[in-house]
Amino acid sequence: MDRRNLLTVAAAAALGVSLAASAGIAPAAAQARKVLVVASNQDVPNLDPHVATGYSASAFMRNLYDSLVRVEGNPVKVVPHLAQSWTVSPDGMEYTFKLDPGAKFTDGSPVDANAVVYSFQRLLRLNKGNSWMVAGTLDQSSVSAADAQTVKIKLVKPFAAFLQVLPWLWVVNPKEVEANKGADDAQAWLAKNVAGSGAFKLKRYEPGTLYEFEKVAAPWKSGGGNLTGAIWRIIRETSNQRLALQRGEAHIAVDLTAEDMDQLKDKPGVVSIIEPEFRTFSMKMNTEYGPLADINLRKAISYAFNYKAMEESSSYQQLMVGPLPNGIFGHDPNLAVPRMDLDKAKEFLAKSKYPNGGVKLTFVHVSGLEQVRRFGLVLLDSLKKLNIDLDIKAMVWPDMVASTASPDKVADFFTVYQTGNYGDPDNIAFAAYHSSRNGNWQNPVYKSKVVDDLIMKGRAEPDEAKRKEIYLQFQKQVVEDAPDIFGVLEKRKLALRSDVSGLVFTPVASNAIEFFPLSLK
Amino acid sequence: MSAVAGNIPSSAAAARLQNWRRGLYRFRQSWLSVVGLAIVVLLLVAAIAGPWLVPYPEHVAGGINTGARFKPPSAQHWFGTNELGQDVLSLVVAGSRVSLLAGLAVVTLAAIVGTVVGAVAGYVGRWVDEALMRFTDLMLTLPSLILAMAVAAALGPGIANMVFAIVLSWWPGFARLVRGEVMARKEEVYVQAARALGASAPRILFRHILPNIVSPIIVKASLDMGFAILTVASLGFVGIGVKPPTPEWGVLLSLARGYLPDYWWTAIFPGCAIFLAVFAFNLLGDGLRDVLDPRARR
Amino acid sequence: MLRYTLRRIVLLIPVLVGLSLLVFTISHLLPGDPVKLAAGPQATQADIDSLARELGMDKPLPVQYWNYATGLVRGDWGQSVLTRRPVWDDLKVFLPATLELVFAALAFAVIVGIPAGLLSGVYANRWPDYLSRVVSLGAISMPRFFLGLILQLVFAMALGWLPLGGRFPIIDEPPPALTGFLTIDALAAGQFGAFWVALQHLAMPAIAMSLSPLATITRMMRASTIEVLQQDYVLTERALGLSQKLIVFKYVLKNAMTSSLTVIGLYVGWLLGGTVLVETVFDWPGIGLYATKAIVSQDFMPVMGVTLAIGTIFILSNLVVDLLYGLLNPKVRYE
Repeated sequence: MDRRNLLTVAAAAALGVSLAASAGIAPAAAQARKVLVVASNQDVPNLDPHVATGYSASAFMRNLYDSLVRVEGNPVKVVPHLAQSWTVSPDGMEYTFKLDPGAKFTDGSPVDANAVVYSFQRLLRLNKGNSWMVAGTLDQSSVSAADAQTVKIKLVKPFAAFLQVLPWLWVVNPKEVEANKGADDAQAWLAKNVAGSGAFKLKRYEPGTLYEFEKVAAPWKSGGGNLTGAIWRIIRETSNQRLALQRGEAHIAVDLTAEDMDQLKDKPGVVSIIEPEFRTFSMKMNTEYGPLADINLRKAISYAFNYKAMEESSSYQQLMVGPLPNGIFGHDPNLAVPRMDLDKAKEFLAKSKYPNGGVKLTFVHVSGLEQVRRFGLVLLDSLKKLNIDLDIKAMVWPDMVASTASPDKVADFFTVYQTGNYGDPDNIAFAAYHSSRNGNWQNPVYKSKVVDDLIMKGRAEPDEAKRKEIYLQFQKQVVEDAPDIFGVLEKRKLALRSDVSGLVFTPVASNAIEFFPLSLK
Repeated sequence: MSAVAGNIPSSAAAARLQNWRRGLYRFRQSWLSVVGLAIVVLLLVAAIAGPWLVPYPEHVAGGINTGARFKPPSAQHWFGTNELGQDVLSLVVAGSRVSLLAGLAVVTLAAIVGTVVGAVAGYVGRWVDEALMRFTDLMLTLPSLILAMAVAAALGPGIANMVFAIVLSWWPGFARLVRGEVMARKEEVYVQAARALGASAPRILFRHILPNIVSPIIVKASLDMGFAILTVASLGFVGIGVKPPTPEWGVLLSLARGYLPDYWWTAIFPGCAIFLAVFAFNLLGDGLRDVLDPRARR
Repeated sequence: MLRYTLRRIVLLIPVLVGLSLLVFTISHLLPGDPVKLAAGPQATQADIDSLARELGMDKPLPVQYWNYATGLVRGDWGQSVLTRRPVWDDLKVFLPATLELVFAALAFAVIVGIPAGLLSGVYANRWPDYLSRVVSLGAISMPRFFLGLILQLVFAMALGWLPLGGRFPIIDEPPPALTGFLTIDALAAGQFGAFWVALQHLAMPAIAMSLSPLATITRMMRASTIEVLQQDYVLTERALGLSQKLIVFKYVLKNAMTSSLTVIGLYVGWLLGGTVLVETVFDWPGIGLYATKAIVSQDFMPVMGVTLAIGTIFILSNLVVDLLYGLLNPKVRYE
């Protein structure tokens, strides 16, 4: 269905309803429908499951498509989804998945092993979207069909957290994709159309405003809640999201700030969820180019920074201790990390090439990210004590990403939020500190042979105790190199109406709301 | 609509009535302008001396106090504190500097560009006039705020970029005004006399014509000042404008949106500051028009 | 009259060509590389080059302009590089929302401004005049986005009488699209409940938008009323014994038509470009919000499209007002 068809259907649906209820908005009709409204500030410009990224895209994919396994609960468990069961070879290099024979795409065709193989190959071929999660782990021949219901995956390199990335790799309907392949591997077609097996399909499509989902007539999965549909409503201002929730115009708001949560406290009919999640914020310093290539200056700044003010500048966050998120496997809560100590800062400054300060540094952040703007002001205030100026620059995300192409283009302070896709230290360690990610927003410049080796050892080590030891060493080494100002771990802040039931908080991608289990009173 | 001036009163009584009314009108008009002038003077003082006058000068330079966030108005913080514990009164007073400076720069530059274009068009005439005026008219059809936003966003933050972006859509108004005035003056006796004496065109324009049309330009500039300030605040409000930590009213207001309704003081005071500044310049502009350019009065 | 109308319409063509050329030139003078942006963060130089070829952006500028301009005529207004959607399709969705807002604002300005200006003029320099003049001066100085916030604070947050933003409750189906104006579509479909709901959503943003035209209309009506009251013929008729009320109604209301028309003509284009901030505050899904989003992400095609659409409507509305003037006021000469 192309966009025009989508609109026609929407118009026809609208006409149908208005004929049925010509008195205007009939409360009876609204009650028969159980439509959940999610308020979000993120639009979804592309619906291709192998291209789109961002949490809103994750939410759409979770509802429109399925993956081999899914994540559930707190602490996170990997549970069956398209795959009913699986086995792993003793060396951890080969996985065998048995597919659910009942699984069907929305056009009625079965989700078989061929579809899974096709989808992985397309993902790897395009090398976009979530493919980084398996980059180096899988190649074009890794995934094969043993029979119609059995998929075999052979890893190229060991990867301890392999199962945990699978929930984000989506299976498309090969028949529909092939029929619309075009010259670009159906990228143009899938950007606007859905070819999945999810319990929901897209009904109304108003970019920048709202997207309406409708439950398919007979979802292959059993159970689930009583929703007949859902609406992803774009509300850019978080305060407007909060007020829409208070007035009952939205059921779940996913982008609320600490101030919003404070104002929602004790409001009737509203339930708040404030839970720790593996979402780190750090200020990456340019270790390769400019004044911050000087490790003594980096250390001076690390000791001059007002960590307490950063923590106080907003509620529901805690300071990070080192590069890994607090509480994750292998994290060292007793790690000796810099805290504000002006004497020490001045000691390091004296050892640097800038003993009297007098430099001007730049700090970049994604425009509109209010919290980071505040962190920038905290840094600006802190740096004054070292006689260092700070230029705070808001940039659009694509420009920020583009700046990471070479070290001389990267700002002195490059700020990054990193949301855990999987609850394993490898996620942050590899993405944010391995030198193969240089030139990428997660780790623009920092490189260290020692750290690289530790990361690769940790990734492949099957023994838990040894693995833990490796990550302890990793953390010490990173703190020693001072590539970042380790920032805060932000708690996830969600708010929902009390008539929503079935939402179980999961500390990965919890803002990518899954509609299927939810019910409305 | 015909001009009021030039009507012959039909009776002495009506004339007296009319004069009396006009006198009252002027009085009140000037009374309001005096208020406007007073506020403008206050704003100028705030803009120049603000950073030294305010209770928390360190906050103006970007200092923070995260231990005292979102404190409501009190004796210590008359306008309360914001999300970083900064004193809102200090930020609002200091914010007058950017608004006034940028507003003044916009109006001055627009007046200069517009005057040059308008004077050349009006004096040279013929195809030059035609080309320049068609171009001016086209510029006037563009949505000025969207144009300013697009240009400012592409150039990046900073007062100079912002001013440039606004001037781009601001000069055509001046160009039209000046062209009209120049056309009207260029056949007057003193201009013809100068021409007969062999004065060059630029000399005639700048020495003889322009000094005579300064009044309407100043009147327009003063009337535009309020709207220029408003436009500056508008750009700040949509997040395109100055660099942090420079306090700017539009930015303050847009940040405060997220804190309504509980922390209302973060929004109300910067908003009122914008309103007051624009209001004051409008009052002053009206008054100046009465004094300098009585013909234009309705 | 017919010849004049035709001539004016023919003269539109060079103006519209000029407008498109101007918009094209400005957008190409600005820094920023739309192709690089469209290619995405991971793109290599080869990807960028091939995309530039695909989008026709590797050609010389005159050729690019020719393609753009001929595309405009065919209804191809280019594509948003970020969303990959045709600008024309987006405009069709967002423009009616903005137009509805603008017309509602103008209607409010006329309905309130005419009586206010009339009272002001009749009671010139007495308290009703005083009040209306201070209010209208204040209205002209009031930032629309600040008034919007105050209205939200009072009527949506504190009192809860009106919806905070948006155009229509999203859980409900909007009335079938006919004009794109929800209020009119609801009435046309006989859905009075939906009409009321749409009107409630429209109220605050329309009032916030109406400030400047309201102040202008009030000032104009006041001035023309005073003027009429001082005219010879009014004085004569007053001497002849016609009651003052009748005089006022007879002459002044005639002026009301022309001054509203002038203000509407003046303001349609201006307000269209000025809805940006109000749409941001009220989350109103119109071209202002669309343009803002595109500007912030430096997506040029939608910005060019919105600018052109507004410029064109501005030019057309001026023409229509000029022609209507002639109908209302035959004294105006056509040259």
